[in-house]
Amino acid sequence: MNAIEIKGLTKSYKEKQALCGLDMTVPMGAIYGLIGENGSGKSTTEKLICGLIHANSGSIKLFDRPHTDADVRAKMGVLIEAPGCFPNDTVWNNMLLQAANLGIKNAETEVRKALKLVRMEGAAGNKYKNCSLGMKQRIGIAFALLGDPKLLILDEPINGLDVDGMRIMREILTDITKNRNCTVVISSHVLGELEKVATHYGIVRGGKMIREMTAAELDASCRTYVALQTRERNRAKALLSCKYFRVEEDESEYLRVYDSVTPEEIVSYLYENGILISEIKTAKIGLEEYYIDLMKEGR
Amino acid sequence: MKFEHNTFGKRMKTMLHVDFRRMFTQPLLYIMVGTCLVIPILILVMTTMMDGSVSVNPQTGVETVIEGFDSTWQIIAVNSADYNPMAMDMTTMCNINLLYFFAAVLVGCFVAADFRSGYAKNLFTVRARKTDYVISKTLACFVGGALMILAFFIGTMLGGAISGLSFELGAAGISGLIMCMISKILLIGAVVPLYLLWSVIAKQKLWLSLVGSLMSSMLLFMMIPMLTPLDSTIMNVILCGAGAVLFSLGLGAVSNAILKKTSLV
Repeated sequence: MNAIEIKGLTKSYKEKQALCGLDMTVPMGAIYGLIGENGSGKSTTEKLICGLIHANSGSIKLFDRPHTDADVRAKMGVLIEAPGCFPNDTVWNNMLLQAANLGIKNAETEVRKALKLVRMEGAAGNKYKNCSLGMKQRIGIAFALLGDPKLLILDEPINGLDVDGMRIMREILTDITKNRNCTVVISSHVLGELEKVATHYGIVRGGKMIREMTAAELDASCRTYVALQTRERNRAKALLSCKYFRVEEDESEYLRVYDSVTPEEIVSYLYENGILISEIKTAKIGLEEYYIDLMKEGR
Repeated sequence: MKFEHNTFGKRMKTMLHVDFRRMFTQPLLYIMVGTCLVIPILILVMTTMMDGSVSVNPQTGVETVIEGFDSTWQIIAVNSADYNPMAMDMTTMCNINLLYFFAAVLVGCFVAADFRSGYAKNLFTVRARKTDYVISKTLACFVGGALMILAFFIGTMLGGAISGLSFELGAAGISGLIMCMISKILLIGAVVPLYLLWSVIAKQKLWLSLVGSLMSSMLLFMMIPMLTPLDSTIMNVILCGAGAVLFSLGLGAVSNAILKKTSLV
Protein backbone atom coordinates (compact mmCIF):
# COMPACT_ATOMS: atom_id res chain seq x y z
CA MET A 1 0.00 0.00 0.00
CA ASN A 2 1.22 3.50 -0.81
CA ALA A 3 0.91 6.33 1.66
CA ILE A 4 0.08 8.80 -1.10
CA GLU A 5 -1.09 8.10 -4.62
CA ILE A 6 -1.84 11.09 -6.83
CA LYS A 7 -3.11 10.77 -10.37
CA GLY A 8 -3.61 13.48 -13.00
CA LEU A 9 -3.86 16.34 -10.54
CA THR A 10 -4.58 19.75 -12.03
CA LYS A 11 -4.99 23.04 -10.27
CA SER A 12 -5.19 26.56 -11.60
CA TYR A 13 -5.26 29.90 -9.82
CA LYS A 14 -7.26 32.31 -11.98
CA GLU A 15 -5.16 32.36 -15.16
CA LYS A 16 -2.07 30.57 -13.82
CA GLN A 17 -1.89 26.79 -14.22
CA ALA A 18 -0.11 25.59 -11.06
CA LEU A 19 -0.40 21.84 -11.67
CA CYS A 20 -0.97 20.13 -15.00
CA GLY A 21 -1.66 16.44 -14.55
CA LEU A 22 0.75 15.72 -11.71
CA ASP A 23 1.25 12.07 -10.73
CA MET A 24 3.00 11.14 -7.50
CA THR A 25 3.48 7.94 -5.53
CA VAL A 26 4.86 7.92 -2.02
CA PRO A 27 5.45 4.47 -0.53
CA MET A 28 4.67 3.88 3.13
CA GLY A 29 7.53 4.63 5.50
CA ALA A 30 9.37 6.74 2.92
CA ILE A 31 10.99 10.11 3.41
CA TYR A 32 9.96 11.62 0.11
CA GLY A 33 11.91 14.67 -1.02
CA LEU A 34 9.79 16.89 -3.23
CA ILE A 35 12.10 19.05 -5.30
CA GLY A 36 11.42 21.81 -7.78
CA GLU A 37 12.05 25.42 -8.63
CA ASN A 38 10.05 28.24 -7.06
CA GLY A 39 6.52 28.16 -8.47
CA SER A 40 6.88 24.62 -9.83
CA GLY A 41 3.87 23.41 -7.82
CA LYS A 42 5.40 21.83 -4.68
CA SER A 43 3.44 23.84 -2.12
CA THR A 44 0.25 23.56 -4.17
CA THR A 45 0.64 19.77 -4.19
CA GLU A 46 1.16 19.73 -0.43
CA LYS A 47 -1.84 21.98 0.20
CA LEU A 48 -3.98 19.74 -1.99
CA ILE A 49 -2.87 16.65 -0.06
CA CYS A 50 -3.86 18.40 3.18
CA GLY A 51 -7.25 19.38 1.74
CA LEU A 52 -6.56 23.08 2.22
CA ILE A 53 -7.29 23.88 -1.42
CA HIS A 54 -9.32 22.06 -4.03
CA ALA A 55 -8.10 20.48 -7.25
CA ASN A 56 -9.70 21.12 -10.62
CA SER A 57 -9.32 17.45 -11.54
CA GLY A 58 -7.41 14.33 -10.60
CA SER A 59 -7.43 12.08 -7.56
CA ILE A 60 -5.53 11.94 -4.29
CA LYS A 61 -5.50 8.79 -2.20
CA LEU A 62 -3.98 8.55 1.25
CA PHE A 63 -3.37 4.99 2.46
CA ASP A 64 -5.76 3.72 -0.23
CA ARG A 65 -8.57 6.00 0.95
CA PRO A 66 -9.78 9.29 -0.52
CA HIS A 67 -7.88 12.23 0.93
CA THR A 68 -11.17 13.61 2.28
CA ASP A 69 -11.47 10.65 4.68
CA ALA A 70 -11.75 12.16 8.16
CA ASP A 71 -10.08 9.22 9.91
CA VAL A 72 -6.93 9.38 7.76
CA ARG A 73 -6.75 13.14 7.96
CA ALA A 74 -6.90 12.99 11.75
CA LYS A 75 -3.49 11.25 11.64
CA MET A 76 -1.68 13.89 9.60
CA GLY A 77 0.91 16.39 10.74
CA VAL A 78 1.63 19.50 8.75
CA LEU A 79 4.08 22.36 8.51
CA ILE A 80 3.28 24.45 5.46
CA GLU A 81 4.99 27.83 5.09
CA ALA A 82 4.88 28.63 8.82
CA PRO A 83 3.38 26.96 11.90
CA GLY A 84 -0.14 28.25 12.46
CA CYS A 85 0.24 29.79 15.91
CA PHE A 86 -1.50 32.69 17.58
CA PRO A 87 1.24 35.31 17.79
CA ASN A 88 0.20 36.88 21.10
CA ASP A 89 -0.11 33.57 22.89
CA THR A 90 2.74 31.56 24.42
CA VAL A 91 4.31 28.60 22.67
CA TRP A 92 2.99 26.37 25.45
CA ASN A 93 -0.61 27.55 25.04
CA ASN A 94 -0.42 27.24 21.28
CA MET A 95 0.83 23.68 21.63
CA LEU A 96 -1.88 22.82 24.16
CA LEU A 97 -4.48 24.15 21.76
CA GLN A 98 -3.18 21.93 18.97
CA ALA A 99 -3.17 18.99 21.40
CA ALA A 100 -6.82 19.76 22.16
CA ASN A 101 -7.52 19.93 18.42
CA LEU A 102 -6.06 16.47 18.02
CA GLY A 103 -7.92 15.12 21.04
CA ILE A 104 -4.72 14.09 22.83
CA LYS A 105 -5.49 12.78 26.30
CA ASN A 106 -2.26 13.51 28.19
CA ALA A 107 -1.90 16.87 26.47
CA GLU A 108 0.66 18.43 28.83
CA THR A 109 2.94 15.37 28.79
CA GLU A 110 2.75 15.04 25.01
CA VAL A 111 3.42 18.75 24.47
CA ARG A 112 6.40 18.61 26.82
CA LYS A 113 7.72 15.55 24.94
CA ALA A 114 7.34 17.23 21.53
CA LEU A 115 9.07 20.41 22.73
CA LYS A 116 11.88 18.36 24.25
CA LEU A 117 12.34 16.49 20.99
CA VAL A 118 13.06 19.75 19.13
CA ARG A 119 15.03 21.15 22.12
CA MET A 120 12.57 23.97 22.66
CA GLU A 121 11.41 23.22 26.20
CA GLY A 122 13.07 26.45 27.36
CA ALA A 123 10.97 28.54 25.00
CA ALA A 124 7.61 27.17 26.15
CA GLY A 125 6.77 30.32 28.09
CA ASN A 126 7.78 32.72 25.30
CA LYS A 127 5.17 34.49 23.27
CA TYR A 128 5.19 32.98 19.79
CA LYS A 129 5.68 36.38 18.12
CA ASN A 130 8.92 36.88 20.08
CA CYS A 131 10.52 33.65 18.78
CA SER A 132 13.22 33.77 16.10
CA LEU A 133 12.72 32.23 12.66
CA GLY A 134 14.71 29.13 13.60
CA MET A 135 12.74 28.73 16.84
CA LYS A 136 9.48 29.07 14.94
CA GLN A 137 10.54 26.33 12.53
CA ARG A 138 11.39 24.02 15.43
CA ILE A 139 8.05 24.81 17.07
CA GLY A 140 6.37 24.06 13.74
CA ILE A 141 8.03 20.66 13.66
CA ALA A 142 6.93 19.99 17.25
CA PHE A 143 3.39 21.00 16.20
CA ALA A 144 3.45 18.58 13.30
CA LEU A 145 4.73 15.75 15.48
CA LEU A 146 1.91 16.01 18.03
CA GLY A 147 -0.60 13.19 18.04
CA ASP A 148 1.68 10.49 16.58
CA PRO A 149 0.98 11.32 12.90
CA LYS A 150 1.18 8.64 10.21
CA LEU A 151 1.76 11.14 7.43
CA LEU A 152 3.85 14.26 7.83
CA ILE A 153 3.79 17.05 5.24
CA LEU A 154 6.67 19.48 5.69
CA ASP A 155 7.11 22.46 3.41
CA GLU A 156 10.59 23.97 3.62
CA PRO A 157 11.12 22.87 7.24
CA ILE A 158 14.88 23.43 7.08
CA ASN A 159 14.55 27.16 6.34
CA GLY A 160 16.03 29.17 9.17
CA LEU A 161 17.37 26.16 11.06
CA ASP A 162 20.91 26.29 12.42
CA VAL A 163 23.36 23.37 12.15
CA ASP A 164 22.09 21.83 15.39
CA GLY A 165 18.50 22.29 14.24
CA MET A 166 19.22 20.48 10.98
CA ARG A 167 20.87 17.59 12.81
CA ILE A 168 17.88 17.29 15.18
CA MET A 169 15.57 17.38 12.19
CA ARG A 170 17.45 14.52 10.53
CA GLU A 171 17.36 12.46 13.72
CA ILE A 172 13.63 13.04 14.17
CA LEU A 173 12.76 12.15 10.58
CA THR A 174 14.83 8.97 10.68
CA ASP A 175 13.31 8.01 14.04
CA ILE A 176 9.67 8.54 13.11
CA THR A 177 9.91 6.70 9.82
CA LYS A 178 11.79 3.74 11.26
CA ASN A 179 10.16 3.41 14.67
CA ARG A 180 6.75 5.04 14.36
CA ASN A 181 5.68 3.84 10.91
CA CYS A 182 5.32 7.40 9.69
CA THR A 183 5.65 8.58 6.09
CA VAL A 184 7.17 11.99 5.42
CA VAL A 185 6.85 14.30 2.43
CA ILE A 186 9.40 17.07 2.65
CA SER A 187 9.96 19.86 0.16
CA SER A 188 13.19 21.79 0.37
CA HIS A 189 15.65 23.81 -1.65
CA VAL A 190 18.50 22.74 0.63
CA LEU A 191 19.25 19.67 -1.47
CA GLY A 192 22.48 18.76 0.30
CA GLU A 193 20.54 18.39 3.55
CA LEU A 194 17.63 16.61 1.91
CA GLU A 195 20.02 14.07 0.37
CA LYS A 196 21.08 12.99 3.85
CA VAL A 197 17.60 11.82 4.85
CA ALA A 198 15.42 11.21 1.80
CA THR A 199 14.71 7.66 0.67
CA HIS A 200 12.67 8.72 -2.37
CA TYR A 201 12.63 11.78 -4.60
CA GLY A 202 10.11 13.48 -6.82
CA ILE A 203 11.22 16.26 -9.12
CA VAL A 204 8.53 18.70 -10.20
CA ARG A 205 8.79 21.19 -13.04
CA GLY A 206 6.04 23.38 -14.45
CA GLY A 207 3.35 21.59 -12.46
CA LYS A 208 4.35 18.13 -13.68
CA MET A 209 6.29 15.32 -12.06
CA ILE A 210 9.27 14.89 -14.35
CA ARG A 211 11.06 12.17 -12.38
CA GLU A 212 10.40 9.94 -9.38
CA MET A 213 13.11 7.68 -8.03
CA THR A 214 14.50 6.04 -4.94
CA ALA A 215 17.71 7.16 -3.27
CA ALA A 216 19.37 3.99 -4.62
CA GLU A 217 18.27 4.85 -8.17
CA LEU A 218 19.61 8.36 -7.77
CA ASP A 219 22.87 6.94 -6.49
CA ALA A 220 23.14 4.64 -9.51
CA SER A 221 22.42 7.41 -11.97
CA CYS A 222 24.86 9.84 -10.38
CA ARG A 223 28.12 9.52 -12.29
CA THR A 224 31.55 9.32 -10.63
CA TYR A 225 34.29 11.63 -11.82
CA VAL A 226 37.91 12.40 -11.12
CA ALA A 227 38.58 15.90 -9.79
CA LEU A 228 42.09 17.36 -9.87
CA GLN A 229 43.89 20.59 -9.15
CA THR A 230 47.01 21.85 -10.85
CA ARG A 231 48.81 25.17 -11.33
CA GLU A 232 48.69 24.69 -15.12
CA ARG A 233 44.95 24.36 -15.32
CA ASN A 234 44.46 25.57 -18.89
CA ARG A 235 47.17 23.33 -20.41
CA ALA A 236 45.95 20.36 -18.36
CA LYS A 237 42.40 20.96 -19.53
CA ALA A 238 43.49 21.12 -23.15
CA LEU A 239 45.51 17.92 -22.83
CA LEU A 240 42.77 16.02 -21.01
CA SER A 241 40.14 17.20 -23.51
CA CYS A 242 42.17 15.63 -26.31
CA LYS A 243 42.16 12.26 -24.62
CA TYR A 244 38.86 12.17 -22.69
CA PHE A 245 35.27 12.80 -23.80
CA ARG A 246 34.04 15.19 -21.11
CA VAL A 247 36.36 17.48 -19.14
CA GLU A 248 34.92 20.45 -17.23
CA GLU A 249 36.13 23.08 -14.81
CA ASP A 250 33.96 23.54 -11.70
CA GLU A 251 33.35 26.57 -9.46
CA SER A 252 36.09 25.49 -7.02
CA GLU A 253 38.63 25.54 -9.86
CA TYR A 254 38.91 21.76 -10.02
CA LEU A 255 39.15 20.03 -13.35
CA ARG A 256 36.62 17.23 -13.62
CA VAL A 257 37.00 14.20 -15.87
CA TYR A 258 33.72 12.31 -16.20
CA ASP A 259 34.97 9.36 -18.29
CA SER A 260 35.62 5.99 -16.65
CA VAL A 261 39.20 6.60 -15.74
CA THR A 262 41.32 6.07 -12.62
CA PRO A 263 43.24 8.88 -10.90
CA GLU A 264 46.47 6.89 -11.51
CA GLU A 265 45.95 7.00 -15.28
CA ILE A 266 45.42 10.76 -15.21
CA VAL A 267 48.42 11.38 -12.92
CA SER A 268 50.69 9.38 -15.20
CA TYR A 269 49.30 10.96 -18.41
CA LEU A 270 49.77 14.52 -17.15
CA TYR A 271 53.18 13.72 -15.63
CA GLU A 272 54.33 12.41 -19.02
CA ASN A 273 53.30 15.80 -20.43
CA GLY A 274 55.16 17.70 -17.76
CA ILE A 275 52.21 18.74 -15.59
CA LEU A 276 52.32 18.22 -11.82
CA ILE A 277 49.07 17.64 -9.90
CA SER A 278 48.64 19.21 -6.46
CA GLU A 279 45.45 17.29 -5.55
CA ILE A 280 43.39 14.50 -7.11
CA LYS A 281 40.31 12.58 -5.90
CA THR A 282 37.41 10.47 -7.09
CA ALA A 283 33.95 11.93 -6.36
CA LYS A 284 30.33 11.43 -7.26
CA ILE A 285 27.84 14.08 -8.37
CA GLY A 286 25.25 14.77 -5.70
CA LEU A 287 21.53 15.42 -5.76
CA GLU A 288 22.08 19.13 -6.30
CA GLU A 289 24.16 18.63 -9.43
CA TYR A 290 21.84 15.90 -10.67
CA TYR A 291 18.90 18.26 -10.23
CA ILE A 292 20.67 21.16 -11.96
CA ASP A 293 21.58 18.89 -14.88
CA LEU A 294 18.00 17.68 -15.13
CA MET A 295 16.69 21.25 -15.14
CA LYS A 296 19.21 22.21 -17.84
CA GLU A 297 18.02 19.29 -19.99
CA GLY A 298 14.49 20.60 -19.89
CA ARG A 299 15.39 24.13 -20.96
CA MET B 1 -2.90 0.40 7.99
CA LYS B 2 -5.83 0.80 10.37
CA PHE B 3 -7.13 4.16 11.46
CA GLU B 4 -9.22 4.84 14.52
CA HIS B 5 -12.76 5.89 13.60
CA ASN B 6 -13.66 9.25 15.03
CA THR B 7 -17.36 9.49 15.74
CA PHE B 8 -19.27 12.77 15.40
CA GLY B 9 -19.45 13.04 19.20
CA LYS B 10 -15.71 12.59 19.60
CA ARG B 11 -14.92 15.08 16.85
CA MET B 12 -17.31 17.66 18.30
CA LYS B 13 -15.88 17.18 21.78
CA THR B 14 -12.36 18.04 20.62
CA MET B 15 -13.52 20.89 18.38
CA LEU B 16 -15.60 22.45 21.18
CA HIS B 17 -12.64 22.03 23.52
CA VAL B 18 -10.49 24.03 21.09
CA ASP B 19 -13.03 26.80 20.52
CA PHE B 20 -14.05 27.24 24.16
CA ARG B 21 -10.43 27.15 25.23
CA ARG B 22 -9.63 29.86 22.71
CA MET B 23 -12.72 31.89 23.59
CA PHE B 24 -11.93 31.89 27.30
CA THR B 25 -8.14 32.15 27.23
CA GLN B 26 -7.82 35.08 24.83
CA PRO B 27 -8.57 38.71 25.76
CA LEU B 28 -11.19 39.36 23.06
CA LEU B 29 -14.14 37.97 25.02
CA TYR B 30 -13.13 39.77 28.22
CA ILE B 31 -12.76 43.08 26.38
CA MET B 32 -16.19 42.65 24.82
CA VAL B 33 -17.84 41.57 28.09
CA GLY B 34 -16.11 44.41 29.95
CA THR B 35 -17.34 46.89 27.36
CA CYS B 36 -20.88 45.53 27.68
CA LEU B 37 -20.68 45.94 31.44
CA VAL B 38 -19.52 49.56 31.28
CA ILE B 39 -21.71 50.85 28.45
CA PRO B 40 -25.11 50.73 30.27
CA ILE B 41 -23.56 52.37 33.34
CA LEU B 42 -22.23 55.22 31.20
CA ILE B 43 -25.45 55.59 29.23
CA LEU B 44 -27.72 55.57 32.28
CA VAL B 45 -25.57 57.90 34.38
CA MET B 46 -24.94 60.37 31.57
CA THR B 47 -28.52 60.51 30.29
CA THR B 48 -29.83 60.96 33.84
CA MET B 49 -27.39 63.83 34.39
CA MET B 50 -28.46 65.44 31.14
CA ASP B 51 -32.19 64.72 31.58
CA GLY B 52 -34.29 67.82 31.06
CA SER B 53 -31.41 70.01 29.93
CA VAL B 54 -32.10 72.19 26.94
CA SER B 55 -29.74 72.61 24.04
CA VAL B 56 -30.18 75.48 21.59
CA ASN B 57 -29.06 75.35 18.01
CA PRO B 58 -27.13 78.63 17.61
CA GLN B 59 -27.98 78.92 13.92
CA THR B 60 -31.69 78.12 13.96
CA GLY B 61 -32.45 78.95 17.58
CA VAL B 62 -34.42 75.70 17.92
CA GLU B 63 -34.48 74.37 21.46
CA THR B 64 -34.18 70.64 22.12
CA VAL B 65 -34.97 69.11 25.48
CA ILE B 66 -32.80 66.09 26.21
CA GLU B 67 -34.86 63.26 27.59
CA GLY B 68 -33.32 60.56 29.75
CA PHE B 69 -34.63 57.12 30.65
CA ASP B 70 -37.80 56.97 32.75
CA SER B 71 -36.86 53.65 34.32
CA THR B 72 -33.76 51.46 34.44
CA TRP B 73 -35.39 48.69 32.40
CA GLN B 74 -36.02 51.03 29.48
CA ILE B 75 -32.41 50.39 28.38
CA ILE B 76 -33.24 46.68 28.15
CA ALA B 77 -36.63 46.93 26.44
CA VAL B 78 -40.00 48.68 26.48
CA ASN B 79 -43.48 47.16 26.74
CA SER B 80 -44.92 46.12 23.38
CA ALA B 81 -47.65 48.74 23.72
CA ASP B 82 -45.12 51.54 24.22
CA TYR B 83 -42.85 50.56 21.31
CA ASN B 84 -42.75 53.16 18.56
CA PRO B 85 -40.82 51.93 15.54
CA MET B 86 -40.51 55.46 14.15
CA ALA B 87 -38.92 56.94 17.29
CA MET B 88 -35.29 57.89 16.71
CA ASP B 89 -34.42 59.35 20.14
CA MET B 90 -31.47 58.39 22.30
CA THR B 91 -33.43 56.07 24.60
CA THR B 92 -34.63 54.04 21.61
CA MET B 93 -31.26 53.79 19.90
CA CYS B 94 -28.85 53.47 22.85
CA ASN B 95 -29.96 50.26 24.47
CA ILE B 96 -29.14 46.57 24.83
CA ASN B 97 -29.87 45.97 21.13
CA LEU B 98 -26.54 47.62 20.31
CA LEU B 99 -25.02 44.35 21.50
CA TYR B 100 -26.15 42.62 18.35
CA PHE B 101 -23.64 44.84 16.52
CA PHE B 102 -20.96 44.14 19.12
CA ALA B 103 -21.52 40.41 18.62
CA ALA B 104 -20.47 40.91 14.99
CA VAL B 105 -17.10 42.17 16.22
CA LEU B 106 -16.74 39.16 18.53
CA VAL B 107 -17.55 36.62 15.80
CA GLY B 108 -15.56 38.43 13.10
CA CYS B 109 -12.40 38.75 15.20
CA PHE B 110 -12.71 35.21 16.56
CA VAL B 111 -12.99 33.56 13.14
CA ALA B 112 -10.57 35.87 11.31
CA ALA B 113 -7.88 35.05 13.90
CA ASP B 114 -7.99 31.39 12.76
CA PHE B 115 -7.21 32.36 9.19
CA ARG B 116 -4.87 35.28 9.88
CA SER B 117 -2.63 33.28 12.23
CA GLY B 118 -2.55 30.27 9.92
CA TYR B 119 -4.15 28.13 12.63
CA ALA B 120 -6.82 27.17 10.06
CA LYS B 121 -4.12 25.09 8.32
CA ASN B 122 -3.60 22.98 11.45
CA LEU B 123 -7.32 22.80 12.03
CA PHE B 124 -8.52 21.82 8.57
CA THR B 125 -5.64 19.44 7.80
CA VAL B 126 -6.75 17.13 10.58
CA ARG B 127 -10.45 17.91 10.20
CA ALA B 128 -11.90 16.89 6.89
CA ARG B 129 -15.47 17.63 8.00
CA LYS B 130 -16.19 21.35 8.02
CA THR B 131 -19.51 20.84 9.83
CA ASP B 132 -17.61 20.40 13.10
CA TYR B 133 -16.03 23.81 12.67
CA VAL B 134 -19.32 25.57 11.85
CA ILE B 135 -21.26 23.98 14.74
CA SER B 136 -18.49 24.58 17.23
CA LYS B 137 -17.91 28.19 16.22
CA THR B 138 -21.66 28.88 16.35
CA LEU B 139 -21.94 27.45 19.86
CA ALA B 140 -18.81 29.17 21.18
CA CYS B 141 -19.85 32.55 19.77
CA PHE B 142 -23.40 32.05 21.05
CA VAL B 143 -22.04 31.54 24.57
CA GLY B 144 -19.78 34.59 24.14
CA GLY B 145 -22.74 36.67 22.95
CA ALA B 146 -24.92 35.42 25.81
CA LEU B 147 -22.24 36.48 28.30
CA MET B 148 -22.20 39.93 26.71
CA ILE B 149 -25.99 40.19 27.18
CA LEU B 150 -25.68 39.11 30.81
CA ALA B 151 -22.86 41.62 31.37
CA PHE B 152 -25.06 44.37 29.93
CA PHE B 153 -27.87 43.29 32.28
CA ILE B 154 -25.56 43.52 35.29
CA GLY B 155 -24.27 46.87 34.03
CA THR B 156 -27.87 48.06 33.70
CA MET B 157 -28.63 47.27 37.33
CA LEU B 158 -25.43 48.96 38.48
CA GLY B 159 -26.10 51.97 36.26
CA GLY B 160 -29.70 52.20 37.47
CA ALA B 161 -28.56 52.10 41.09
CA ILE B 162 -25.85 54.74 40.55
CA SER B 163 -28.13 57.11 38.65
CA GLY B 164 -31.03 56.58 41.04
CA LEU B 165 -33.48 55.53 38.34
CA SER B 166 -36.61 53.55 39.11
CA PHE B 167 -36.51 49.73 38.92
CA GLU B 168 -40.30 49.59 38.55
CA LEU B 169 -41.32 46.88 36.06
CA GLY B 170 -44.98 47.89 35.81
CA ALA B 171 -47.24 45.62 33.77
CA ALA B 172 -44.35 43.50 32.46
CA GLY B 173 -43.48 42.02 35.84
CA ILE B 174 -40.44 39.98 36.73
CA SER B 175 -41.55 37.08 34.50
CA GLY B 176 -41.74 39.43 31.52
CA LEU B 177 -38.20 40.67 32.23
CA ILE B 178 -36.87 37.09 32.50
CA MET B 179 -38.62 36.05 29.26
CA CYS B 180 -37.31 39.19 27.58
CA MET B 181 -33.73 38.41 28.62
CA ILE B 182 -34.04 34.76 27.52
CA SER B 183 -35.47 35.91 24.17
CA LYS B 184 -32.61 38.34 23.69
CA ILE B 185 -30.07 35.64 24.49
CA LEU B 186 -31.74 33.23 22.05
CA LEU B 187 -31.77 35.93 19.40
CA ILE B 188 -27.97 36.02 19.66
CA GLY B 189 -28.20 32.44 18.37
CA ALA B 190 -29.95 33.79 15.27
CA VAL B 191 -27.44 36.52 14.47
CA VAL B 192 -24.28 34.48 15.18
CA PRO B 193 -24.77 32.16 12.14
CA LEU B 194 -25.22 35.25 9.98
CA TYR B 195 -21.96 36.75 11.23
CA LEU B 196 -20.24 33.38 10.95
CA LEU B 197 -21.32 33.17 7.32
CA TRP B 198 -19.74 36.56 6.61
CA SER B 199 -16.62 35.51 8.50
CA VAL B 200 -16.10 32.31 6.49
CA ILE B 201 -16.69 34.24 3.27
CA ALA B 202 -14.17 36.90 4.31
CA LYS B 203 -11.67 34.51 6.00
CA GLN B 204 -8.60 36.60 6.88
CA LYS B 205 -10.20 39.83 5.60
CA LEU B 206 -11.62 41.04 8.91
CA TRP B 207 -12.81 44.33 7.40
CA LEU B 208 -15.03 42.49 4.92
CA SER B 209 -16.46 40.30 7.65
CA LEU B 210 -17.27 43.34 9.81
CA VAL B 211 -18.76 45.42 6.99
CA GLY B 212 -20.91 42.50 5.80
CA SER B 213 -22.02 41.56 9.31
CA LEU B 214 -22.87 45.10 10.37
CA MET B 215 -24.77 45.84 7.18
CA SER B 216 -26.85 42.69 7.41
CA SER B 217 -27.52 43.14 11.12
CA MET B 218 -28.91 46.61 10.33
CA LEU B 219 -31.81 44.82 8.65
CA LEU B 220 -32.51 42.87 11.82
CA PHE B 221 -32.02 45.81 14.18
CA MET B 222 -35.55 47.18 13.80
CA MET B 223 -37.09 43.76 14.40
CA ILE B 224 -35.30 43.03 17.68
CA PRO B 225 -37.41 45.34 19.95
CA MET B 226 -40.60 43.87 18.47
CA LEU B 227 -39.45 40.31 19.06
CA THR B 228 -38.19 40.96 22.58
CA PRO B 229 -40.41 43.49 24.41
CA LEU B 230 -40.16 43.95 28.18
CA ASP B 231 -43.49 42.15 28.59
CA SER B 232 -42.28 39.09 26.70
CA THR B 233 -44.07 35.80 27.15
CA ILE B 234 -43.15 32.20 26.48
CA MET B 235 -44.28 32.82 22.87
CA ASN B 236 -41.46 35.34 22.39
CA VAL B 237 -39.00 32.81 23.79
CA ILE B 238 -40.27 30.09 21.42
CA LEU B 239 -40.22 32.51 18.48
CA CYS B 240 -36.65 33.63 19.15
CA GLY B 241 -35.54 30.05 19.85
CA ALA B 242 -37.09 28.80 16.61
CA GLY B 243 -35.45 31.69 14.74
CA ALA B 244 -32.08 30.79 16.23
CA VAL B 245 -32.45 27.12 15.26
CA LEU B 246 -33.62 27.91 11.71
CA PHE B 247 -30.88 30.50 11.11
CA SER B 248 -28.26 28.14 12.56
CA LEU B 249 -29.34 25.26 10.34
CA GLY B 250 -29.83 27.27 7.16
CA LEU B 251 -26.91 29.67 7.36
CA GLY B 252 -24.72 26.98 8.95
CA ALA B 253 -25.28 24.77 5.90
CA VAL B 254 -24.27 27.68 3.63
CA SER B 255 -21.13 28.35 5.71
CA ASN B 256 -20.29 24.65 5.54
CA ALA B 257 -20.68 24.64 1.75
CA ILE B 258 -18.45 27.71 1.44
CA LEU B 259 -15.71 26.11 3.54
CA LYS B 260 -15.94 22.96 1.42
CA LYS B 261 -15.72 24.77 -1.90
CA THR B 262 -13.20 27.51 -1.23
CA SER B 263 -9.51 27.68 -0.42
CA LEU B 264 -8.79 27.56 3.31
CA VAL B 265 -5.38 29.25 3.25
